[in-house]
Amino acid sequence: MADFLFYIFAFFTVACAVGVVANRNAVNGAMCLMLCLMGVAGLFVLLDAYLLAALLVLVYAGAVVALFLFIVMLLDMQGGVKRPFKKVTAVASLASLGLMLVGVSMLGSRGHLATLPSPAAAAAPVGAVLKNYAELLFTTYLLPVQVIGFLLLIAMLGVIVLSKKFEGMEDIK
Amino acid sequence: MTAGLNDYLILSGLLFALGFFGVLLRKNTLAIFMCLELMLVASTLALVAFSRFNGTLDGDVFVFFILTVAAAEVAVGLAIIVALFRRRQTVQVEELNALKN
Amino acid sequence: MTPVHLALLILLLPLASAAFIALFLRRAGGLASAVSVTACTGLAVAALALAFGGERNFPASWEWLRLGGFSLSLGFKFDDLAALMLVIVGVVGLCVHVFSLGYMHDDGAKARYFGGLSVFMFSMLGIVFADNLFMMFIFWELVGFSSYLLINHYCEKQSAADAAKKAFIVNRVGDFGFLLGIVMCYWLNGTVNLTELAAHHVYSSWVPLLLFCGAVGKSAQLPLQVWLPDAMEGPTPVSALIHAATMVAAGIYMLCRIEPVMTPTALTVIMWTGTATALYAALCAITQRDIKKVLAYSTLSQLGYMVAAFGLGSLPSGQGDHKVLVAAGVGAAMFHLTTHAFFKALMFLGSGSVIYGCHHEQDIFKMGGLKSKVPLTFATFTIGVAAIIGLPFLAGFFSKDAILYLAFANNKAVFALLAFTAVLTALYMVRLWKIVFLGAPRSEEASHAHEGGLSMTVPLVLLAVLSVVGGYGFFFEKLAGSVAHLVPEAGGSDHTVIFVVSLVVMTLGAGAALLFYRAETADSLEQKSPGLFGALSALKESFDAVYNYYVAKIQQRFAILLNFLDQVALAGLIIRGFSGLVGLFGIGARALHVGSLHAYVYWFLIGVVILWAYAAGVF
Repeated sequence: MADFLFYIFAFFTVACAVGVVANRNAVNGAMCLMLCLMGVAGLFVLLDAYLLAALLVLVYAGAVVALFLFIVMLLDMQGGVKRPFKKVTAVASLASLGLMLVGVSMLGSRGHLATLPSPAAAAAPVGAVLKNYAELLFTTYLLPVQVIGFLLLIAMLGVIVLSKKFEGMEDIK
Repeated sequence: MTAGLNDYLILSGLLFALGFFGVLLRKNTLAIFMCLELMLVASTLALVAFSRFNGTLDGDVFVFFILTVAAAEVAVGLAIIVALFRRRQTVQVEELNALKN
Repeated sequence: MTPVHLALLILLLPLASAAFIALFLRRAGGLASAVSVTACTGLAVAALALAFGGERNFPASWEWLRLGGFSLSLGFKFDDLAALMLVIVGVVGLCVHVFSLGYMHDDGAKARYFGGLSVFMFSMLGIVFADNLFMMFIFWELVGFSSYLLINHYCEKQSAADAAKKAFIVNRVGDFGFLLGIVMCYWLNGTVNLTELAAHHVYSSWVPLLLFCGAVGKSAQLPLQVWLPDAMEGPTPVSALIHAATMVAAGIYMLCRIEPVMTPTALTVIMWTGTATALYAALCAITQRDIKKVLAYSTLSQLGYMVAAFGLGSLPSGQGDHKVLVAAGVGAAMFHLTTHAFFKALMFLGSGSVIYGCHHEQDIFKMGGLKSKVPLTFATFTIGVAAIIGLPFLAGFFSKDAILYLAFANNKAVFALLAFTAVLTALYMVRLWKIVFLGAPRSEEASHAHEGGLSMTVPLVLLAVLSVVGGYGFFFEKLAGSVAHLVPEAGGSDHTVIFVVSLVVMTLGAGAALLFYRAETADSLEQKSPGLFGALSALKESFDAVYNYYVAKIQQRFAILLNFLDQVALAGLIIRGFSGLVGLFGIGARALHVGSLHAYVYWFLIGVVILWAYAAGVF
């Protein structure tokens, strides 16, 4: 049953990812990203990381993608202009596609995937118990938590500064 | 067939590659940004898979941090894009070429 | 105060004075002159204290530079020779400093002048005290530099600038030989310390000959004598100090210092060079119009005497011992150097007084009748002239006799030439004396000539006294100690011969001059026999003409070729080539900035792929 679910979620996620990449309209792309994140949240649940699944939905899908949508709406873009087809783009696309395939296949062949532990070898899923998680977060990883707090503060300040309107500055041309 | 670690890793690699492909080929700055997020999500998936199959929680904690950093990064990045849009009235990457030469 | 401290004080006082003037007193001429004269007085007092204090050969040496096995040290070698030279430099230097107070009183660049004088005193004392050849070379160059500074004092005049350049360059040519000699000496002997060389060294004729090149340059021997007459462009006190008494004597002093390494071949070369110079200069002096030029050629001639005396070497005592080989030469040369310093400085300062009195007129045919106008100068100048032509009982008589005796005993040809030169010496000196002082004034300035102040007359009197007593045994012995014992004394029949010869040559020359030359506006020789006059003048010009040809045609072309090579190879290929290479890099890097974000991401991708491939073991 779990495997079947895995394949459903995996397929769903990949489909939405393709949608994000290929969609001409930015709003459509943002929506696809949200759905993609849903799929990944499902995969997280399958991996017994329930807290993270919830966090993904709340923070990532809920806040970040919403922010994206805000900005897209704010900038009020007129959809992508059909650009003239450039040869260099085709070459670059083929090259990157090739590289992508090579990368994935390399992962398959050289990633020592055969020697990875199977789920039967795993102990009782540790991630299901929230207490362990909190214990780690507040003892071993306390410093990174504080630093992350600082980071958020700085990001906030930066955003405030960036969005001010500066009078009298000439256009950079 | 049980879904082993391999499957999760291949999936994560695929998502990452898709995201990277998007960064390379999209012309809209915001679209590029979204593909960037896709790459981040792929890496979180790999981390959680590893942590699950190793029986530790360190991967999970790391994902926690990645999530936070991604949020901060998106906020600042979007603020920059907005400021850029105010100046240049465009977010098409081709036209943002003031640093040329 | 220990002797080492005293020596250091003597050496460093003028340096301190020069530094002080250069840093702070550039515009304060009066103050600068006071500082410089005070420093010179101090060092003269200290010099007399050190020389008559009796301490000799105290150890004083400091290592300065060490490169592996080679070490350069600076130190003092204070023996009787150094003591003698120290007293000469100190006393004559003091006289010139005091004289300059009066002579340069109205000059605008007094501070520069006195600073230069202090630098010169420092450099000259460095040569006097030097205990190894490297140290001597350093101060040798410094002396050349101060000479350049001082000749170039009237720097607005093109002739002064040219003369200074000429002096320095000609000296440089000599110094090149000197340096080669020092290197060779070090290579053969492993040391350049004078005391060590005296103790043990390898015999080779090259070393003394190359070292002699330095003396040829510095003491203006043939063929490098062309700079000394031109050096008269400098102020007269400078000519007195540097180009009469001390710097040009440095060459002789250096020869005496390196006398342990002399060989008979080298001595012969030295002897003939000196004789040739003496004769040549005396011939050139007969036709000169400028009072300072006459004195300059006279200096050249007397230097030739000293060098020839050194080259004549020893008395034929039948011993082949090297120690005795040069001893008498050293004695005679240093004796003549001492007396020459006194009376030549006296005459130069006297001519300075005359020039100052006639408002900077230097042509002797425009002077005349100064006997009554500047009586003190006349008296002292007469003493100087008498000394140089060898009037008995004056200093020059004794020293010249010593040289003539040495020549008579060793080489009759040289003796004949030197005797003939003595005739010419008397001739041109008395000519000068007669035309300048006797007769009637021939120009406005001469008729209004006046004596300088006390600062100009006191040194003259002091030097006149020294010119009289300097030759006597009791004085010179007290001064020079063991060097005085080296002076050759004629005995018996030789004594009479030399005495007669010197009297004859003096009377011949002086009488000829007195009778032949008339105190007129024109040169009698020029009038009576223009051919001879022309020939003698051409003698002077010939050397300059040869050098000019060489510099203009040969050296200049070579320099142009080198310049071309420099422009193409060095400046063009290497310098601009490298900068062009860097520029290419810059252009290449700039080409990467396309402005397109995607391009940058592709570069990023390529980088990651390479890293990936490396990690995967592809290469």
